[in-house]
Amino acid sequence: MKHWRYDTAEDLEQSMIERLKHFPREPDILVYMIRSFAAVCMRAWLRIYHRYEISGLENLPSRGSFVMVANHSSHLDAPCLISALPLRKLNHVFPAAAADYFFQNVPRIWFAAVVVNSLPFGRTVRVRQSLCLCEKLIENPDNVLIIFPEGTRTATGELGHFRPGIGALLAGCKVPVLPCYLDGAYAAWNRHQHIPRPKKLKLVIGPPRIFDQLTPGKESSAALAVELQQAVQELATHHEHHGTHLQNP
Amino acid sequence: MMSPNAALNDPVFRVYAVVALSLLVFGGVLLGIISRFLKQEMSSIWKTYRSWLIIVPVFFGFMFAGRGPVIVGTTLLGIFGFKEYAKATGLYRDWWITGIVYLGIIAVGLTSLVANPHGGQPGWYGLFMTLPVYIVALLILVPIMENRAKGQLQTLALSIMGFIYIGWMFGHLGYLANDPHAYGYLLYLVFAVELNDVAAFTCGRLFGKHKLRDRVSPGKTLEGALGALAFSMVLPWVCRFSFPHFGVLQLVLTGLIVGIGGQLGDLAISMIKRDLGVKDMGALIPGHGGILDRVDSLIYTAPLFMHMVDYFYNQPG
Repeated sequence: MKHWRYDTAEDLEQSMIERLKHFPREPDILVYMIRSFAAVCMRAWLRIYHRYEISGLENLPSRGSFVMVANHSSHLDAPCLISALPLRKLNHVFPAAAADYFFQNVPRIWFAAVVVNSLPFGRTVRVRQSLCLCEKLIENPDNVLIIFPEGTRTATGELGHFRPGIGALLAGCKVPVLPCYLDGAYAAWNRHQHIPRPKKLKLVIGPPRIFDQLTPGKESSAALAVELQQAVQELATHHEHHGTHLQNP
Repeated sequence: MMSPNAALNDPVFRVYAVVALSLLVFGGVLLGIISRFLKQEMSSIWKTYRSWLIIVPVFFGFMFAGRGPVIVGTTLLGIFGFKEYAKATGLYRDWWITGIVYLGIIAVGLTSLVANPHGGQPGWYGLFMTLPVYIVALLILVPIMENRAKGQLQTLALSIMGFIYIGWMFGHLGYLANDPHAYGYLLYLVFAVELNDVAAFTCGRLFGKHKLRDRVSPGKTLEGALGALAFSMVLPWVCRFSFPHFGVLQLVLTGLIVGIGGQLGDLAISMIKRDLGVKDMGALIPGHGGILDRVDSLIYTAPLFMHMVDYFYNQPG
């Protein structure tokens, strides 16, 4: 009789923290159950407490990987974007989260890794490695990557400058990018507030763009970042002027 | 019945709490003296000791809180113990299989918690004992429903072993909380199994010459095992206050179950780890390894002990 071949998880002998910091993670069904339960609660919370509304859902590709970029003003942003996607995609949605903020202490790591399924992104060190991780992620089929290219929550509520890293990731990439604008999150829970307030949240999802004809390089990256920033800005202004129009085209 | 009030009024619980506390203090002082005067490298032992400083109060906390918390705590240990096993064997990739085993372990906890529909002690003894029938039946459904055959015997065998050994046999520890003598039984069992480990280690260090089972666990020696067995045979007499109704036969059986079963449980997990090629089943408890590395002996002894006392003192429906 041939001996069995065991496929031991690589993170077996790591402590819980190392295991959650490590990416890609190797979760078992317990983690999926906790995450699904949290996702349902999160959706209910957003609907009831924030009267969350989404427009532009028809722009979401039904198959294949894609990237969502959005303005960042609150910790509510990632939950809002995750909640815009169907529940069955939950375990394939990866918001990029600042490694120096979310992967520092135990409750945050646990929340970021188990509940939100985030990808630890190095903003100051190991930026290139983090971009590589993102690239590998979207090369796999049916993954969704959520990025906030401002790199940090806005301090004023205004849309900040998009970092060129997003351009380096997406230039020459066949994966569609969806610019998104989330309205109301700054008023609901900005970085100066301790608890979320019951303000209305609205998400606008823009039409997908593909940047596969761009050749990767410094200039194209910067141009791409500017273009995406404009796209998000346009969604914002359009939303302010024709908010109702966008919902019922 | 176990409850915070009963724990406070129970002399057995108080004695064990005091003994455990003094052992912790004594161990700390001893380690302090050794590292201060003998200047030995002790960092790994200190790590193990620090973990004990957490494990012991948590254990007594659950014991103090009563029957429900003890059963829930055992169930949680079973769930996370199985998680370690599933990760080590690669079984965790199969969601349906692991999902069913988790459900099975929860069912072990629930059947221990609920009242017996046929009357008598709490805990649905009949369903608790027959659970493996239903869980095995459910597990076998998975490959059939998914129309798979290749490699399924391995998946099934691993999951059935996982459920029966880690979920159900270990679950007997929680079920013991339903016994009228729960304090004496549970505290003695856990205390004796841990001391048996210590005795095997100490005797092995002092007199060890012959390997016990070198291909399973190279560190263990025959002398250590015999020393621990001798120690465990004496311990029931020393701790006779835990089960004043025991006769000589029951005391001897208790000694044998802990003395032999404890070491077999240890060897069983070592054998599994050897076959898998891993050093520890996890890294949850610093200095100890995973949950399974810590409770390995209890998995083997708890069901044997429970059925021994059931045979002599309860005839459950």
